Amino acid sequence: MAAKWIEALTGSLEQKKQYKQDKARIDALPEPYTRAANAMHRYLMYAGGVTDGDTLSTMFTDLADLWERAAIDRTPVRDIVGDDPVEFAETFASAYSGKRWIDKERARLTKAMDEASGADGKEAGA
Amino acid sequence: MGNQMTEMLKGTLVGIVLATLAGRPAYGYEITARLREQGFTDLVEGTVYALLVRIEQKGFVDVEKVPSEKGPPRKVYSLNAQGRDQLNEFWRTWTFLSERIEQLQHPNDDHQHEGA
Repeated sequence: MAAKWIEALTGSLEQKKQYKQDKARIDALPEPYTRAANAMHRYLMYAGGVTDGDTLSTMFTDLADLWERAAIDRTPVRDIVGDDPVEFAETFASAYSGKRWIDKERARLTKAMDEASGADGKEAGA
Repeated sequence: MGNQMTEMLKGTLVGIVLATLAGRPAYGYEITARLREQGFTDLVEGTVYALLVRIEQKGFVDVEKVPSEKGPPRKVYSLNAQGRDQLNEFWRTWTFLSERIEQLQHPNDDHQHEGA
């Protein structure tokens, strides 16, 4: 799956440049912010589920904005992520309405249920 | 924040943030600070930030970058027409919900609504 995202990124040179810039901003943060931001960056790459490059670049730019601001204001890491960092990362990712790999499966489930319940006009068992 | 509080707030926090912005534009930390003053003491800045990202993506706010004394410019969020519609919708939904829930809590105080 990771390969797919990277492919999406390499699809456009502009996106690739943007991605590199955002990653550099994250890597340039002071501790503990660089650690926190990189952990989130990694999680979003694996679990963000976003497959289109534009959305992914917007997401990572916003991520860099978030942690840069936190570092400048010296906001404690816990004041950013709360008690449940996974939930925080999921909420963050869900704001981006780009294409997600799960969309295909969602469409498949919806279609199967339409067919099973007769929403397509021919319920199987009826 | 207590677990139940967190769960219940989840569905309403977008509306709460839009309502906060209805008065005047603000940047992320200002919004968090205002809400904390109003009693949402355990609200973390990141939660508000994630919400602001969401309402920006949905087109409910206009964003202006305003220079800050240190670091990169701050994003100042102001409610636009679409956001106002969304806020009105939120209040309608909220009024409906709170009336129903109140009725569940005090079922006997509510004879005047019978047959309505």
